[in-house]
Amino acid sequence: MKRLMIALASATALLASSAMAQEKIKIGAAPYGLNAEFMQIWAAALQEHPAVKSGEVELTVFDGRYDALVQQDQFKTMATQKYNAIIFAPIDVDAGAAAVQTAADAGIPVIGSNTRVNSDLLTSYVGSDDTISGYMEAKTVLDKIGCKGNVVILEGPIGQSAQISRLEGNKKALAECPDVKILEDQTANWSRAEAQTLMENWLTAHPNQINGVIGQNDEMALGAIEAIKAAGLDLKSFTIAGIDGITDALHAVKAGEMTSILQDARAQAQGALDLAIFAAKKGDYKPQSDIWATYKDMPWKDGKEKIYNVPWTPVTAENVDQLLATRK
Amino acid sequence: MPSRSSIYQPEEGKGVRSMAEESVMSVGDNKSANGWFGSEQRRLLIQEYGIFLAFVILVAVLSVSNEFFLTAGNISNVLLQTSINGVLAIGMTFVILTRGIDLSVGSVVALAGIVSASFVTSSATAGISGAPYPVALGLGIGLLVGIACGAVSGVIVSRFSVPAFVATLGMLSAARGMTLIYGGGRPVPALTPAFRWIGTGNILGIPAPVVILAVVFAVSWWILNRTRFGRYIYAVGGNPHAARTSGINITRTQFAVYVISGSLAGLAGMLLSARTGSALPQAGIAYELDAIAAVVIGGTSLSGGVGRVTGTLIGALIIGVMNNGLDLMGIQSYYQQVLKGALIVGAVMLDQKRNYGA
Amino acid sequence: MELLLEVEGLKKSFGGVAALRDGRFQLRAGTVHALCGGNGAGKSTFLKILMGIFSRDAGSIRRRGKEVEFANPADALASGIAIIEQELSPVPHMTVAENIYLGREPKARFGGIDFRAMNRSAQRLLDDLEFDIRATQYMMNLSVAQMQLVEIAKALSHDAEVIFMDEPTSAIGEREAQHLFAAIRRLQAQGRGIVYVSHRLSEIFQIADSYTVFRDGAYVGSGALADIDRPGLIRMIVGRELSEEFAKTNTPTSQPGIEVAALSCPNKIEDISFSVRKGEIFGIYGLMGAGRTEIFNCLFGLDRPSAGSIKVDGTEVSIAKPADAMAHGLALVTEDRKLTGLNLADSVRANICMASLPEMSPAFAMDRAREADASRGMREKFQIKAARDTMPVSGLSGGNQQKVVLGKWFLRNPKVLLLDEPTRGVDVGAKREIYRIISDFASSGGTVVMISSEIDEVLGMSDRIMVMRAGRSAGTFSREETDAQSLVHLST
Repeated sequence: MKRLMIALASATALLASSAMAQEKIKIGAAPYGLNAEFMQIWAAALQEHPAVKSGEVELTVFDGRYDALVQQDQFKTMATQKYNAIIFAPIDVDAGAAAVQTAADAGIPVIGSNTRVNSDLLTSYVGSDDTISGYMEAKTVLDKIGCKGNVVILEGPIGQSAQISRLEGNKKALAECPDVKILEDQTANWSRAEAQTLMENWLTAHPNQINGVIGQNDEMALGAIEAIKAAGLDLKSFTIAGIDGITDALHAVKAGEMTSILQDARAQAQGALDLAIFAAKKGDYKPQSDIWATYKDMPWKDGKEKIYNVPWTPVTAENVDQLLATRK
Repeated sequence: MPSRSSIYQPEEGKGVRSMAEESVMSVGDNKSANGWFGSEQRRLLIQEYGIFLAFVILVAVLSVSNEFFLTAGNISNVLLQTSINGVLAIGMTFVILTRGIDLSVGSVVALAGIVSASFVTSSATAGISGAPYPVALGLGIGLLVGIACGAVSGVIVSRFSVPAFVATLGMLSAARGMTLIYGGGRPVPALTPAFRWIGTGNILGIPAPVVILAVVFAVSWWILNRTRFGRYIYAVGGNPHAARTSGINITRTQFAVYVISGSLAGLAGMLLSARTGSALPQAGIAYELDAIAAVVIGGTSLSGGVGRVTGTLIGALIIGVMNNGLDLMGIQSYYQQVLKGALIVGAVMLDQKRNYGA
Repeated sequence: MELLLEVEGLKKSFGGVAALRDGRFQLRAGTVHALCGGNGAGKSTFLKILMGIFSRDAGSIRRRGKEVEFANPADALASGIAIIEQELSPVPHMTVAENIYLGREPKARFGGIDFRAMNRSAQRLLDDLEFDIRATQYMMNLSVAQMQLVEIAKALSHDAEVIFMDEPTSAIGEREAQHLFAAIRRLQAQGRGIVYVSHRLSEIFQIADSYTVFRDGAYVGSGALADIDRPGLIRMIVGRELSEEFAKTNTPTSQPGIEVAALSCPNKIEDISFSVRKGEIFGIYGLMGAGRTEIFNCLFGLDRPSAGSIKVDGTEVSIAKPADAMAHGLALVTEDRKLTGLNLADSVRANICMASLPEMSPAFAMDRAREADASRGMREKFQIKAARDTMPVSGLSGGNQQKVVLGKWFLRNPKVLLLDEPTRGVDVGAKREIYRIISDFASSGGTVVMISSEIDEVLGMSDRIMVMRAGRSAGTFSREETDAQSLVHLST
């Protein structure tokens, strides 16, 4: 149904645009799915981009519904309707390559965002390096527990690129503290409820032994917090970390229950959109988003770079209120 | 040992060739009647206690292999972790007993969870205006959402004779969509402590969800075993034609079981959000499968008319205990899934063997 | 003379319970041999061993003097033994020809099926049997009787020399039965051996020339039917003397029990009127599909009549659903107890109480003591043989199952009893008990309407008989003024 509506919407858009002068740039955004908060912020940020607001760019967002095949079909649709550029956040590093090929065959530039694609055909990529966040969060936990004691790791779905990279980062930090023992290391599939159950069982299996909890995302870290609370234990005796900076996690950080690292969905989205317009206009464009001013570490460099790394921002007591204010 | 009687137990009237005509229970044939009695007793024994026995063995094995398994804290954990699936599976039992199925419960969990949460959140942005409202209102709204979803499925199945699989598959999709529309795809966080009590509180040291599960079980057991409506459910599931000829209102009975399943899904949704502290739009995905698994492991026949809610409870406990035990032993959750699959198929295979003596 | 089939000392037990203790049987070429016995006599077990479904524990089977062993039904077929089973297993979405040649379709080029050849040979087969069925019809569009005929054609298509027919007429009407008998005679003339298994003694005397009787899993006796009379055969089957087959003791009163006027239901029945007095047994005779069951469906609220009125005890009633009919004192024993009478998954007790649930649960919760009492009462009243009333009703014999259905309705103290084929699939002993129950009910002032396709039963039990033909009444007669010939004549 949704797909039908999108198709209808884009069909009307096509008619309208061909009737008018061929001035508007048509850009399609293909996120892997819109059910979770992160991608919603991402999609909302695209709509907030100055070029979209001014009407210079006509933007259509396609919900990939967490299915590589659905995304591939959406690329075919965009190719048929002659989009000028595509912003792509694939569900999977490898499964996205075929979709990019489809666009390349049709001569449409593809800008990666958030999740990388194993393809040389990507014009450029705007994202955050998950290895770094994995390292950062583990380091925070290890520093707090004094580089000794026991930790557990709540992993994402095994084999997903974020899980692989974040685990790599986790392990890198852990290697620096050889005295720290990993008591448990399992997937909770990014899910709060699953992590809660897992943590409850771990607390039973390792009574008074767990010092740190490394959650590869915020949802799972929040699940661990609930499990600790439910077991009647003191949260202060645990160090818990998550990644992404979702709203619930920001509240938890404010309450001093955990740490989190913000993955800036807005920067990933708007940066990619600027690059997409740049590619569509064949270089005749200056970036309009304010993110380039915010992140000095990520210079525009005339849009020529292959990879733009959006820096991670640790959520702290100082910046949490400011971040929460953006989530209204 | 295959007894004669067990060979003569096909579910007749469902396309299975019958031999009951030539049953041993012939005129004045008392000797064979006694033989029947013996094997019948044996059969009932397996039927009643087989699943319980499996449960006891599982608990015994885990107790021996892990020192923490049989601690008070862990038992409380297992019960807590079983409570949501238990509530859903009990609702599912009602539906399956009437030859139906309710695939929508996972989505109804999410919808009821998020709608009720929007009434009891202290978040200024996520709730509806005026929130937080008293807990009772939130609970009432959540139950109503569940009842409404169940009623829609129920009407479609009972009045318009749409197969339950199709009707509730539609509801699975629709309720998930409504969840995303209602919450704008965002979670509803910061539920009031009063509301969260149903997920995190204690009654005499027993976790509140466990008490709720116990109440749901007791009431369901009473309805199914001791009331007119329970008899209707078994009759409609066992043979709808015979039930109709006997003056039983099939439409109303079918409708009611979907309402029960929906309302329990609503309750489960609130338990889930109260436990996790926040109502998530992705909550409850694939929960219907665990609920169906518990019902099937508990010995309820998918072809209706046969099964017990006690079996379902034990089925849910088996799943809960297995997950917990394997977690305690540090075994990857992927193995847990494989084991659960084997358990489901094994339980049904045993059931077939026992029914057909093959 | 060489025997087509000779069986000696056949034994089979299940879990220590002997189902067949001593199966003996001899079949000569060119004969129709009746295999008789009550329910539980071991006939079905005997048949299943010969079909290769069960393996025997002991005994010998000789086919034309040669010892044979069947591991599966295909083996039995290969040795020239075909069995037409009592319960059918058609594939509804296939044609008649496809059903007949299922699994052995004539091959065309490129591995396809030669449908033309298949349809042609199937049609020839049906025509030879004088069955009025087209080979290209879909199975699901046939009546039960026609399906039975297709099943017979299928068995004959195997060119079997020995053909077992297990209750072949249980689902078909008189006219089709006569076709079947004609077919049997032709097969007999070809020198084949037919084994005819039936509860209907009149049919046995009509078609068979010899008999074998089993009782309690063992051979009792055999001989030529010319040398035995009906009471003698009954005596052998039940093992004791039966005083009279139809125990009829009722006398109709003058008060009306149920009056039906101008009842119509489009494409099913038209303008049906009859009136039955209290104490009367009113028979309805007709072929399958003549609209007999449809009358009951309209009376009981299972179907909506388009016109007509129904009076119970002289007052006009309106019946929209079974619960309405039950409230007016009607009870319906349906034609097929497994399909519409019983919940086979449940216990004897639950089945007896199934139509009285609201009465037994004044405050929603069931009064379990009343349930148990009611069940005990009905088991005693009708002598239902069950080890315990909590055992599944599916474990009972056909006759006892039928008594459970009767018990379910008698529990409601009905005023009007609608009986649709009340003794189908029930052995001779249980039949008599059911006749006694019906008769007692009428004697005590009850009104009985009974549908039956067994002429003996209709003539033996009814005070008056209405004959149905093509959805209309072909007349109503008192039992004295009619006989078997005129009933058959009127119904066709």
